[in-house]
Amino acid sequence: MIGRRSIGPIATYAIALALATFVGFPLLWMVISSLKPSAELFVNPPRLFPSELTLQWYRNLIGNSDAILLFRNSLVVGASTTLICLTAGTLAAYSVTRFAYPGKQAFLIGALLSYMFPAVVLFISIYMIVSVLGLIDTLFGLILCHCILTFPFALWMLKSFFEGIPREIDEAAWVDGASFLRTFFTIILPLALPGIFSVAVFVFVLSWNEFLFASVLITSGDMKTIPLGIAEFITSFDIRWGEIMAIGTLATLPVVILFLFVQRYFLYGVLSGAVKG
Amino acid sequence: MTRRTADAERLTPEAAPTWRGLPENVRRSWLKDKQASAGVLFILPAVLFLLIFVLYPVFDVLRLSFFAVDFTTDQERFVGLANFGQILRSPKLTTVAWNTVIWTVFSLIGQFGLGLVAALCINQSLPGMNVIRTILLLPYVVPVIALALFWRWMLDGSFGIVSAMLQSIGALAADQSPLALPQGAMASVVLANIWRGFPFVMISYWAALQGVPQEQREAARVDGASTWQEFRYITVAHLAAITKVMVVLRLIWTVTFFDIIWLITRGGPGGATEHWPIWIYQETMGFFRFGMGAALAVFLAAVLIACGVLHLVLLRRQAPQ
Repeated sequence: MIGRRSIGPIATYAIALALATFVGFPLLWMVISSLKPSAELFVNPPRLFPSELTLQWYRNLIGNSDAILLFRNSLVVGASTTLICLTAGTLAAYSVTRFAYPGKQAFLIGALLSYMFPAVVLFISIYMIVSVLGLIDTLFGLILCHCILTFPFALWMLKSFFEGIPREIDEAAWVDGASFLRTFFTIILPLALPGIFSVAVFVFVLSWNEFLFASVLITSGDMKTIPLGIAEFITSFDIRWGEIMAIGTLATLPVVILFLFVQRYFLYGVLSGAVKG
Repeated sequence: MTRRTADAERLTPEAAPTWRGLPENVRRSWLKDKQASAGVLFILPAVLFLLIFVLYPVFDVLRLSFFAVDFTTDQERFVGLANFGQILRSPKLTTVAWNTVIWTVFSLIGQFGLGLVAALCINQSLPGMNVIRTILLLPYVVPVIALALFWRWMLDGSFGIVSAMLQSIGALAADQSPLALPQGAMASVVLANIWRGFPFVMISYWAALQGVPQEQREAARVDGASTWQEFRYITVAHLAAITKVMVVLRLIWTVTFFDIIWLITRGGPGGATEHWPIWIYQETMGFFRFGMGAALAVFLAAVLIACGVLHLVLLRRQAPQ
């Protein structure tokens, strides 16, 4: 290829680096701030490079049983949501990519519409359903709501992964006498596993980060999830920035690590046209 | 060992007697029926779930918008269009509507602008671009609560690094935070939303760029197209389709996005960043006026659906017959 007449690699790097700074600096600043002792944290103007670092804020958090409880609750809600959502989601994705039956198109359109339906429009009615079920202020009620939020997205993404597996494979299994359920468990599921894993991570991340439903449903302290717990931490009169930056870092770290693991599959999913922001 | 043999036996044609001795057409329709019922069975949990927790709420929120709900007794009273009348008479209607428009328009401009630039960058096959791509994708998974925390920390009037910079160039008074000023607060939440939202646009554009055939670019270059012409007639043409879809999705998700504003400013100072979802939330969870909250939600949904329909009509008119 002869002399690429596009903007040139130097300009590209400059722009890319500027964007990476815009994205990365706030994150880095949060981590740095969480490691600064009080004397470094509360100076004006702030110092970019602290002269000493401390783990004091992290130690305070670990000694604080309320903070531990937040992480436990978020983990329980995230894991349960992922399990329920993925079970119903893989079965549904298998169904819509493998079988023909009346009403399938209507279901897909319905799922697509609910994928676009904003939580803030529906939360009032969902709150009332959850309240009729007697699940207000329970983790199970919150899990249910997170399934509502994540299920259409999970289905859509799983569908694109299942479409990538040739139908001939399961047809061969059927003809050999394997039941549909058996085909699903022993042939399709293992083949779709990387895709399923990445969808699971995204469902978990959505649940881990979710704030609106948690703030609507949960009232008692021992049921709070991380976003809800921290939100109340910062509205209190005395803002403890060191601990806040530490808990922010701890809340971000697991999802970033998970994301780095499945990034490859996520990009595959994007290229097949299924994302949610 | 024994299990494996058993499996192998079951998979042989002899182990599936239903298939043997049947005429081809019977076999086919039998498989078809069986497939249909299996398909329905597999999808049943999902259908039930969506019916109960999405379809029913859609109708229920519509119904509720015509009722006044007494929170203490759970009694519902039909009030006709009174809730909607109350919205239209509300003194903060114009402010909230205007804030919603500002919030949405500037967020979208920022997200699409940065998203496009970033996509063009990471689409270049240069060393290190994979790392840049990964960094640029991070806001996609960072919890909004963490974003709200470090945004507020950076904008803190006394110790925030961004506030300090703005103070040193004289854009802010000493110890002043942009979050204390009406316009500064709006700019701050919009910027936070751009930070969070542009990676989605970037990755969608990047996916579209990956689909541009290299031959087209080369052909254009052979024909002597300038960089600008190549961009205008090949890149832009390929991005047009995805832009049309994405604008609708991002519009819906931006207008209705609640968390960022609530967690950074709670709609303040003095209602300067209060947009429609915050109004819904406060009527519902603050004053427990469920009917009013539902009416606000229906109002918002109606406007969004109208936008969607308008978008479709315009696209259809544009498309060559």
